[in-house]
This record gives sequence, C-alpha cells and structure tokens, in this order.
Amino acid sequence: MLLAALPLFFALQAQLRTVAVGADLAADAGIAVGDTVVISARPPAGVGEEGVPGGRADWPVDSVVVSAIVERRADPSEIARNDYRVRLHLDQLERLVGYGNRVDRFAVGTFDSAATEQALRSIEDAAFGFQAHRSRDIAAETSTTFAVVSRFHRAIGVITIVASAVFLLCILLLKVEERRRGMGALRLIGLSRRTVFSTVVIEAAFVSVLGSALGVLVGWAASAAVNAYYQSFYRTPLRFSIVTADIVLFAVLLSLVLGVVAGAVAALRLVRAPPLELIGR
Amino acid sequence: MRILLALAALRSHRVRTALAVLGVAVAAAMLLCMVMLSAGLRESFRELLLARGFQLRLSPRGTLPFDTEATISDASTIVQTLAAQPDVVTVSAVLGAQLHVEQGGEGVTTFALGVNPAAQGDYELLEGRDAKAPDALVANDAFLAAAGARVGDTLTFAAGYDPQLRSFSGERTMVVSGRARFLYLASGQSAVALELRVLQDMTGRAGSDEVSLFMVRLRDGADVEAVRAWIQEHVPRVDAISTAEAMQRVDERLSYFRQLGFILGAVSLIVGFLLVTTLMTVSVNERLGEIAVMRAMGVSRLHVIHQILLEGLAMSLAGGIAGLGLGLVTARYLNSILSAFPGLPEAIDFFLFQPRSAWTALGLLVLVGVAAGIYPSWRAATLPIAGALHEEAVA
Repeated sequence: MLLAALPLFFALQAQLRTVAVGADLAADAGIAVGDTVVISARPPAGVGEEGVPGGRADWPVDSVVVSAIVERRADPSEIARNDYRVRLHLDQLERLVGYGNRVDRFAVGTFDSAATEQALRSIEDAAFGFQAHRSRDIAAETSTTFAVVSRFHRAIGVITIVASAVFLLCILLLKVEERRRGMGALRLIGLSRRTVFSTVVIEAAFVSVLGSALGVLVGWAASAAVNAYYQSFYRTPLRFSIVTADIVLFAVLLSLVLGVVAGAVAALRLVRAPPLELIGR
Repeated sequence: MRILLALAALRSHRVRTALAVLGVAVAAAMLLCMVMLSAGLRESFRELLLARGFQLRLSPRGTLPFDTEATISDASTIVQTLAAQPDVVTVSAVLGAQLHVEQGGEGVTTFALGVNPAAQGDYELLEGRDAKAPDALVANDAFLAAAGARVGDTLTFAAGYDPQLRSFSGERTMVVSGRARFLYLASGQSAVALELRVLQDMTGRAGSDEVSLFMVRLRDGADVEAVRAWIQEHVPRVDAISTAEAMQRVDERLSYFRQLGFILGAVSLIVGFLLVTTLMTVSVNERLGEIAVMRAMGVSRLHVIHQILLEGLAMSLAGGIAGLGLGLVTARYLNSILSAFPGLPEAIDFFLFQPRSAWTALGLLVLVGVAAGIYPSWRAATLPIAGALHEEAVA
C-alpha cells in the first residue's frame, strides 16, 4: 500500500514549487531542506476573516517545498533589520500578495562601463517615472550608514588618543619624579645631564612599547569579543572589528612617539634641576 | 583647614596637578558625551513622536510605519471603528506614495503624503495656505528647490508611468498652496502633502480606500496601553504602536550606540580612577615623612584620611567641571557627524543635553574621586610612625 502511494507522493512533490528560506527563520521555526510549508501574504491572528473591517476571505495560500536555506549576506545596510527572509519565484509572490504584474526594481546586466552609461541614458529617456542607478552608486548609498559610523569611530579614536597622551605624560612624569633622588645621586657621582636624559627617554620608550604590546593583545581580545557579541546579536556574518597589521603598527608607533615625547618632557624637568635639589638638600 | 591643606598639597606640584586635572577633564568630557548619547537619542525621539500629541500609530500588521510598502484597506471603516472608542480624540489617516513632476524637461520624483489637513500631524505650515482643496498641495523646501517651483506655482503631477502605453497614470494639475516642514522625514528629503482622497485617486487606491498609517490622538489622562489593547482587539490587522513601544523598537535598532555609550563611559571612569589613584599614591609615597611627622604631632588618622580624600576629590571636581564644558563642545561635534545618518529626521539628536546628564556625570566623577583616594588614604593612615620617621631621618 505504501509502495502504491509513492507515485502520488512524488507527483504531488513535483507540482509544488520551491522556496529558499533564510537561516534565521529556519533555525527559529525548525525548518529543514525538503520540508513542505504553507505560505501566504495573509497577516496572522485570524486577520482577513469575514466580519473584520477590511478583511479578505480570499487570501491565496500555497504549499511549497523548502529547497535551500540561505545565510544572511554580510551586508551593512541590512544590519538593523531583523525580519525573516524567504525567496520565492516572482510570479508566485505577485499572485500571493495581489500586486499583479508589478516589481520593485529590475537588475540590468551590461557588457562594460560604456554600455552601462548608454543603458542608463536609454532607460531614463524612455521611461519617465523610472530611475536607473549604477550598482556602485547604490553600494555607496547603502554604505552611507557605515560611513557615518566610521567617521564617528574616528572622532572617538582621536579623543581616546588625546586622553591616552595626557595619561601617558602624567604617568611618566610621576615615574620620573619618583626617582628624583636616584637621579640626583647619579648626577653627583659624575653622570652627565645627557646620560640622565637619554636614560629616562629610553626607559619611557621601553615602557611605551611594552604597554602597547600588551594593549595590542587586549585590543585583539576585545575585537574578538566585539565580533562574537554583535555577530550573535544582529545574526550576521559581518565583521564589526578588525585588527590589521596597519592598525597594530599605527598603535605601537603612536604609543612610542607619545612615550618618547612624554619621557623627554619629564627628563628635561629632571636635568634642569641642580643635583642637590634632586636629593632634597 | 583640611581643605586648605589639601589644596596646598596639590599646589606644591603644579605641573603634575594640572596634567591630572586635564586627564580627568578629558575623561569627564567623554563621560558626559556618553551619558548624553545613551539618554539623548531616546528622549529626542520621544519628543519628536509626541510633538503633535499623537500617542498611537497604527501600521499594517507586522510592520513599522513606512517600513514597507504594505497598506491598510478600508481606511474609512477603521476610522469609524476607532471613533467609537471614547478615549480617541483624533484619527489621522496617512497614505505614502511617490509622485513625479516634469519640470524643465527633467523628472522630479518626490515623496507624497495623503492626509486630512484638518487632523494631520506630519507637517507644520511655514508659509501660504494648507492643502484643503482637491487641487492644492503643500511642499517642503527640498521639493521646491528640486522642482524650481515657488508657492503659488501650478505643476502637473503623475503617480506613475506606463511604459507599454507610454502614458502617465494618475495625472493631475495642482497648485503649490503652501510651504511646510515635515516632522518625520529626513533632512533634504523632497516631500509634498495633499488631501488623502486625491492621492488615493491618483495612485489607484481609492476603491480599496488604502492608507499606510493611522495616527491616533487620545484625550488627556487616557490610559494609552488600555486603548492600544482595545484597538488591537477591534482592528486586528494593524499593529498599534504606542510611543513607549516605538521607543523600545528604536532602542533595539540603535542599541549599538547605547552599548557603545555604556562601554566608553565605563572606560572613561576607569581611566579617571586610575589617573587619580596613581597620582594620589605617588603623592602619599613622596610625603610619608611629612605624614609621619603630622601623626607624631598628634594629628588623628581621620584627619589624614580626610585630607587625602579631599585632594582626590578636588582634582576630580576641577577636572569634572572643566570636562563638562569640553564635553558639550565634543558632543556637538559628534552629533554633527551622526546627524548625517541617511533617513534620520532632522529633529533627532543623538546627543541631547539635559541637566540630569551633567549631574550624573559630575556625580559619577565625585564618586570616582572619593574611591580613588581610598587606597592612598588608607596607606597614609596606617603608616608606622616610628619606622617612617626613622627612614626619613636616614634619607
């Protein structure tokens, strides 16, 4: 009996059209490839029933087979949109939503940039009410949000650098001043001002490089944590934070420059003072 | 006396104190910015939503207002249903669509709102007359600039173009009767508003009486949540969104900035704490002999603790007050960057100054100042007097 029913089963399957389901929806609704699901444009919770103002009793309903589960694209423009996605055949969607033969946009393939320009002019001349855009213009438009966020991050970065510079200068000044007596004693036994100055500056440079190396490790861990958190929060493969060789080099060099300048300022104060004053006499 | 001693100790190392105050000022500026960021966006959005007194928005089920092209049919029936609710004072039905106007051989596409001018809450009229006639519309500056038009000009608008028949659809000649500012549209977005019925006619939505959104104003003192539940029960194919819920959804979408504000605010506090603690510890280490002498002379432990805590507090307060001014300037600059977000209404501010923000920042800094002085003051208070005096004498 089961064998007898198989041809009917395959025949029914063959008639069903296929859809691709977003990974978020598949995970939340427990949908797998090969499942048959019912789709409709009808809003949930009994909407559309007779008696409800404006309700429609004739919402089309289709059974479809899930043929693929698709991951969300790493697209910045979709970052804050947490709606589920289903991809289906155009004519089927038009029928389900009752739009008729209507689409939101066309994608037009061209051979080269000259053909693109010609196509743009032809479309805009021929069809008032249509606007043709280059793909790169759309990409630039959709990435505006992230360009703004990027500018904001850069501004925050500048403030952080100012704060770090003040902090570093302060700490090095304290560190040098703590050793006033020691340095005073060294000056008294014959060490030149230049030797004391370079000792302090080299020490500051060492501290800065060591600190920045530690900072790179902390930054790398923080970057990994940021990516893990926001990728999970927004359910996207997009990388929110990256640590590149350029960034590491910039951070270490900046830290070194700040450290050397701060060390030099602190050392200057030290070498200008008489040795006896340094040892408190 | 203790305050004078604390200030004298700080004055004795002017450069060091100035640097520490500068460091705390930068941290305080950052802290204020982040406090303003975490509360400002929310408050600014709330003020915008309530600007015209509409507490509820009804959008097609499962969508946010104007988030998709979905519409609600049988609008008049829904308006009648809503009017039966005793707490409902005004219902404003709104339809959003694109209109095109040909001017100087070029087509200008604009966003159009179909409204009931007597009950609308989407724009404020700046000049001329409202769009109360079927052939009148009001436009914003962006549209007037794009179309090269002025108030009083007559233009031909079309709702669409049929490329197969090569003809306009929903064509209508209209007079720009007024200039308006649209509250919820992005700055620079071209927009016009006309009577709802006219726009429905032009876009072919008159038969099904479609709208994109309802805005509902309630009587003073009405329970918004109760009315929302009533609407949800009686008009189930819409999502009734209260101001609180809209704010929550915006919070969800822009939670990144709140989290960033929290993290950077916490980092600022930690930096300020470390700076003051380090400075105070070094300062105490340098003055061990002096503190031992004071203690030997009979100065109490409590006095020493108070003096050290006051030094930390003075530095934090001075840095905090300087940082508030710096923070306001920085916040204005950062706000100008974030205002360039596409689609953001002009009236939205990411950084909104409220006295509460300043007090919160200052209060946190005072706490940090006190906390930063705890370890150095404990070290100073538990100093073995004889040992410290002996070391000082040997040195």
